[in-house]
Amino acid sequence: MSRRRSRVVINGIGLLAAFFFAFPVYWMVNTAFKSPDQFQTYVPVFIPIPTLDNFTKALNQPHFFDFLRNSLFVSISTVLLALVVGFLAAVTLARVKFRGRRSFLLLVAVAQMAPFEALLIPMFLAIKDWGYNWVPTLIIVYFIFTLPFTIWSLRGFVAGIPVDLEEAAMVDGASRFGAFVRVTLPLLAPGLVATSIFCFITAWNEFLYAYTFMSETQNYTLPVWLVSFRTFLGTDWGATMAASTLFTLPVLIFFLVAQRRMVGGLTTGAVRG
Amino acid sequence: MARTPSTGNAHLGASSQSAAPSRHRSSARVIHDLMPYLAILPTLVTFLVLLGYPVALLFATSLQKFGIYELINHVTTWIGLQNYYEVLFQSPQGLPDFATVLFRTVAFMLVNVVLTIVGGTLIALLLERLNKWVRLILTSSMVLAWAMPAVTGAVLFQWLFDSKLGVVNWAISSLGIFGNYLNHDWFTTGFTTFGIVTLLIVWQAIPFIAFSLYAGILSIPKELPEAARVDGASEGQIFRHITLPALGPLLMMLVFLSVIWDFKVFTQVYAMAQGGPDEQTITLSVYSYIVGISEGKFGYAAAASVVMLLLLLIVLVPYIRRMIKSLEGL
Repeated sequence: MSRRRSRVVINGIGLLAAFFFAFPVYWMVNTAFKSPDQFQTYVPVFIPIPTLDNFTKALNQPHFFDFLRNSLFVSISTVLLALVVGFLAAVTLARVKFRGRRSFLLLVAVAQMAPFEALLIPMFLAIKDWGYNWVPTLIIVYFIFTLPFTIWSLRGFVAGIPVDLEEAAMVDGASRFGAFVRVTLPLLAPGLVATSIFCFITAWNEFLYAYTFMSETQNYTLPVWLVSFRTFLGTDWGATMAASTLFTLPVLIFFLVAQRRMVGGLTTGAVRG
Repeated sequence: MARTPSTGNAHLGASSQSAAPSRHRSSARVIHDLMPYLAILPTLVTFLVLLGYPVALLFATSLQKFGIYELINHVTTWIGLQNYYEVLFQSPQGLPDFATVLFRTVAFMLVNVVLTIVGGTLIALLLERLNKWVRLILTSSMVLAWAMPAVTGAVLFQWLFDSKLGVVNWAISSLGIFGNYLNHDWFTTGFTTFGIVTLLIVWQAIPFIAFSLYAGILSIPKELPEAARVDGASEGQIFRHITLPALGPLLMMLVFLSVIWDFKVFTQVYAMAQGGPDEQTITLSVYSYIVGISEGKFGYAAAASVVMLLLLLIVLVPYIRRMIKSLEGL
């Protein structure tokens, strides 16, 4: 009897904890769908009569599609660049024995711990003559940010695929390259997807460098816009929450897809949102 | 067995089979030996040039008189350690002392790390004991918080804690235990502003810590705690003598990571209050941003960043040691 009661208590605590984590997100979405008379009240409305006005208002903000385009362009380019460069290094680390391998691994590990918040000033000075207020500059910066994690994560995925499989294909007459492409690459697909998603989210969310390096409004990315949103819209919390929801949605979907793979990968890599 | 360079399947050691390597073959061999280096070359360039240059520039700038004038006119004036002296002893007007900022940053970091790690551990232990459905609900909720981008989190928590229309003030007032919080403004003191930033950071950080530790707990053989339970050990004893030691290395890693993250955190602090009210929430990374980018004192801000880097290094040394040790196996 008392065991059963303690189970009930424990599950009750679990639900309370779930409430603590989910409620703010629920409140963001809930506010996004409210008309002004539903969010400008002292007694909050928990289940609104939904309206899409806030989303229309957010989408009709000047330059919204510039911000969206900048964010997508920067994030996707970062992923592609980091994936190509990182993949070469990761496969080499996982499959080839070469002189200096250990030192190279250490270099990757150290690069991964570089505190980018402390490098803002020299980065700014380094790009100010050619890359200030130029959107592609952000691609280079985010590429440097994400490359170490990309290598680390992909190396793990490649190393996890037994080399015997490739060798078996080579016995059957495939070339080493052919064996890699036909045997290892398909098995690597989930790892590539998880790593890409992680890089994408890092670039998509980044605020400090975008905020510092982009001066003209049309060059902002979505996070910069979101933070300066309140100066545009005052206290229009409905539109602000609609904009937040729109910005968060792709990240949420990606997280749900890649969550399982990210826990393991992140413990070895110093990254958090 | 004729190997041509075009097949590209040459293996290390296989060359012993060819009795008289022709010039053609030996050049293929050279290319083969160079392959790994060619493959890591783009990465090496990225790390040594694109990352190495800013690091070098950081140290160089910290030793220069470098303001807006020098920026525009491209003048270089070396002044030795004067920036460091000024960072430590004379803060710019209108900004808090460096010592105050440093103390504040460390205290803020400690509170965040303790809450995150303790909270994450408790949630991980909880996850293990929940039934399937409640566990699914809790993990899904945590993914939501974890996925929230930092800027969205900052904006969202401002809304939750809004003085007039915020749902939190309404909830506290409705509870009635703490009195009337309607129209209470949380962002008028540094302490409560920090409190909300901390709540945001902990809210977003616990999921990762909890998921990692839960994965760690699942990897402990079930027989161990069961045998201890049969022998009459209490849950507390099982945690102290079985779970905790087994999780030790992972837990250390998570503490290190949290210390690093929370020491240098910028976005949440800055997006929430831009260092306000009255410069009371200026932490180290916000400080170097405001001094360097907003006020254009680049040399000074670089020196502050170097101090930050060195402090991080102290924390990082045991972490790097551990890292090197774990590299042995790779």
